[in-house]
Amino acid sequence: MRNVNILKALGGGVIGAGIVLLARLALGMAVWKPVPVLVVGGLAGLFTYILAALGLKKLLSLDAARGALTGLAGTGVGVGLTMLVRVLIGRPAWSADGVLTIGIMTGVIAYLIALGVFNHWWRWAIGAAPKETVEPPKSGWQRYFSVDTNHKVIGIQYFVTGLGLLPFAVVLQLIGRIHMADPHLGLLNSTAYESVISDHGIIMLFMVVLPIFSGMMNYFVPLQIGARDVAFPRLNAFTYWLTPPAALLAMFSFMAGGFDTGWTAYPPLSTSYEPAGMSLILIAVFLIGISSILTAVNIITTIMKMRAPGMTFFRMPIFIWATFGTVGLTLVFTQFISMAFIMLLLSRTLGFGFFNTAMGGQPLLYQYLFWFYSHPAVYVFVLIGLGMISDIIPVFVRKPLFGYKGVAISTLGIAFGGTVVFAHHMFASGMPAMLRIPFMVTTLLVAVPTGVKVFAWVATTWMGKMRLQTPLIFVFSAVILFLIGGLTGVPLGIVPVDLYLHDSYWVVGHFHAMFFGGFLMPVMAAFYYWFPKVTGRMLREGLGKIQWLLMTLGTFLLVLPMLGLGLEGMRRRTAAYDLSSNFQPLHIATAVGGFLVFAGLVVLVMNIRSSFKRNVIAGDNPWGSRTLEWMVSSPPPEDNFKEIPEVLDRPHLHGVSSAPHARLGKPDDADSAQNQGEA
Amino acid sequence: MKDTTVAREKAPSSPMRMGIVLFLISETFLFGALFWTYYYLRGHDTPWPPQHPLATLPAINTGLLLLSSIAVWLGGYMIKKGREKGLFIGLLVTVLLGASFLGITGWEWLHESFRPWTNAYGSIFFLLTGVHALHVFGGVLLMLALLARTARHRFTAGNSVGVEIGSLYWHFIDLIWLLVFTTIFIVR
Repeated sequence: MRNVNILKALGGGVIGAGIVLLARLALGMAVWKPVPVLVVGGLAGLFTYILAALGLKKLLSLDAARGALTGLAGTGVGVGLTMLVRVLIGRPAWSADGVLTIGIMTGVIAYLIALGVFNHWWRWAIGAAPKETVEPPKSGWQRYFSVDTNHKVIGIQYFVTGLGLLPFAVVLQLIGRIHMADPHLGLLNSTAYESVISDHGIIMLFMVVLPIFSGMMNYFVPLQIGARDVAFPRLNAFTYWLTPPAALLAMFSFMAGGFDTGWTAYPPLSTSYEPAGMSLILIAVFLIGISSILTAVNIITTIMKMRAPGMTFFRMPIFIWATFGTVGLTLVFTQFISMAFIMLLLSRTLGFGFFNTAMGGQPLLYQYLFWFYSHPAVYVFVLIGLGMISDIIPVFVRKPLFGYKGVAISTLGIAFGGTVVFAHHMFASGMPAMLRIPFMVTTLLVAVPTGVKVFAWVATTWMGKMRLQTPLIFVFSAVILFLIGGLTGVPLGIVPVDLYLHDSYWVVGHFHAMFFGGFLMPVMAAFYYWFPKVTGRMLREGLGKIQWLLMTLGTFLLVLPMLGLGLEGMRRRTAAYDLSSNFQPLHIATAVGGFLVFAGLVVLVMNIRSSFKRNVIAGDNPWGSRTLEWMVSSPPPEDNFKEIPEVLDRPHLHGVSSAPHARLGKPDDADSAQNQGEA
Repeated sequence: MKDTTVAREKAPSSPMRMGIVLFLISETFLFGALFWTYYYLRGHDTPWPPQHPLATLPAINTGLLLLSSIAVWLGGYMIKKGREKGLFIGLLVTVLLGASFLGITGWEWLHESFRPWTNAYGSIFFLLTGVHALHVFGGVLLMLALLARTARHRFTAGNSVGVEIGSLYWHFIDLIWLLVFTTIFIVR
């Protein structure tokens, strides 16, 4: 059976590739070009395989499949109509930018309608009665490919999307690193190299970091505050389903020529770069922007309105504080990047002149708009990671978190401080010189709340009864890397030093230390910490430690040479360097580091697989943690809590107080309530 | 199982209000980005404005939107007193005024002496008024939905969160219009 399906898939792939070849022949292009032919052929093969394995009826019962097919059809219709209109008004039918932009927007709307995310709102708008019968959730894995409003399902959808794209983004950069190990071999040309690293950046930031954090917020915020779901479950589903098309656009921007601007997309380069890959990225980030703004609305409302009785602000786990700070930032600042990218898109497709000096525009204007968002976004990308660190350390050293209130407030301090430092990205851009000193001061001030956190973490471990399990050792790597990232950031905040280091590998090394310390390592720690809760199974400790070793060594090997390269004067986003300089060994070291990190990811996948095979039951609370999510079964029941729990004390009082963090409702009460409901 | 689902359906009356306020805060920053763009370009380009947009019609438009804000407020006031018909008329007037605003704006755009691709001023003029008009369009759709719901007796004196949310949004875009009008036609 399986072999037959594979044969069918091969047939489908060959047909797909053949259609591309024919189309290229018909359009008068060179018939053979490996990337489009192989990618389309491969996708056709994959699609045929899924179709053969599931059968048409079952496939169409999945919302995701229905949405994807309708989206494709919608894109086709949009492209066709745009070309028709262009012919009618007497312009050449094909212009990649304009035609694809409109086609994709039509496609995304068609996809959302076919998914059914609007159904309920439509019924509300025409005043129809809400549906009487609620369809039971689909069983097993099919549920994750359908529109589901349960926050735990959406959390897993987000997380898996992000984690699935992580290897893609890593492999992209590995190609770039191999190229840089010896640029004279000519593995990539300059545009291809720029496209590879730019797409690496965009995918990492918007399609890996944001979805992974959204997933963790979705899953654990309601559980940790003692709620049954988020405040707006349907909005939650809608925001998730905006993510897959954005991710696809970012992955397929290569097919449309990539984009060579770096993730920052500064004009005039981004407005004059011809291929449509640039426009695809702009649309993708815009979609993610809508998604994260609405998620922010949802999560803030959830935290403000749906906390269990007794869950005062100063009884919330730090993860909740960090989430609160993060979504507060996304709520207001994401609008800036959305607008900036829309302006770029309008400049590219319709010739608007915001950034065009010949038309009275200002390229520097874009940088302000961009950094209004993108600096606060830096804190969006790391705050939750810091929150996870703060919550995980006390569990594994069996001590209360040192300075709980200080850590909580410093979280908001970082969030607030992060909003008033954006211009430090523009010290070298020719902005008014009088802005330099104030922004230098605010930048250095952000180091204070960050320092509070690092101090509190170290003080928490002091004299603790340490259990060196995988989550904790990942946290230690995170703290050290975060410290390196912080310390290398301070020179960048000082104007005269920054003028030398700006746009060098020092900057790249600094933010990679930040991202490994504030994102990847904490997320890995949290993954090992929460995996038992989400799946009900344990991960292997041994493999976890191997992964930790690979990733930690890899990260140091990756980050430290970058800092060295920067000091030596190596510019970022350059596809070549002089071999007579001493750059090459450092570039090779960086590449090796990248491969070690990737090997760590492979070990992680092995570990997950072996966990499902071994099936070691985790139990409700394998780590002896105190927060609410560990008081329910693993995985948590459909509605989280039979009775809304009552919170009694702070979350991190390990080994001090015998009073629990919270009390669940008495079981007999819950039973009688259920009996009444059925009666 | 059963009772929890019902509880989840009923609870969000006050979360809804908070949700829309948060959304509007976020939208404020969207327009903040546009105003920043306008004033930044204004500060760096001379002469400003390079060409003058039509001014009479936007002044009329301002009047229309102010009236519509009063209408939507009256509608909300009526339903609080339990008078469904009053709400219906208030919403209907709001929709008509909003639609006239959009019509006049469209006519005005067609008759401007410049286009968005003429120069940076044209770009920001059309983007600012365009994004605002898009919000008015969304508002009109929302008002139509509220009308449909009123026609089907979905609102009562005790249950009119939908109307509250709609009118909050409507007042918001009205307020933004005042800023847009001041920026483009008074400050220039």
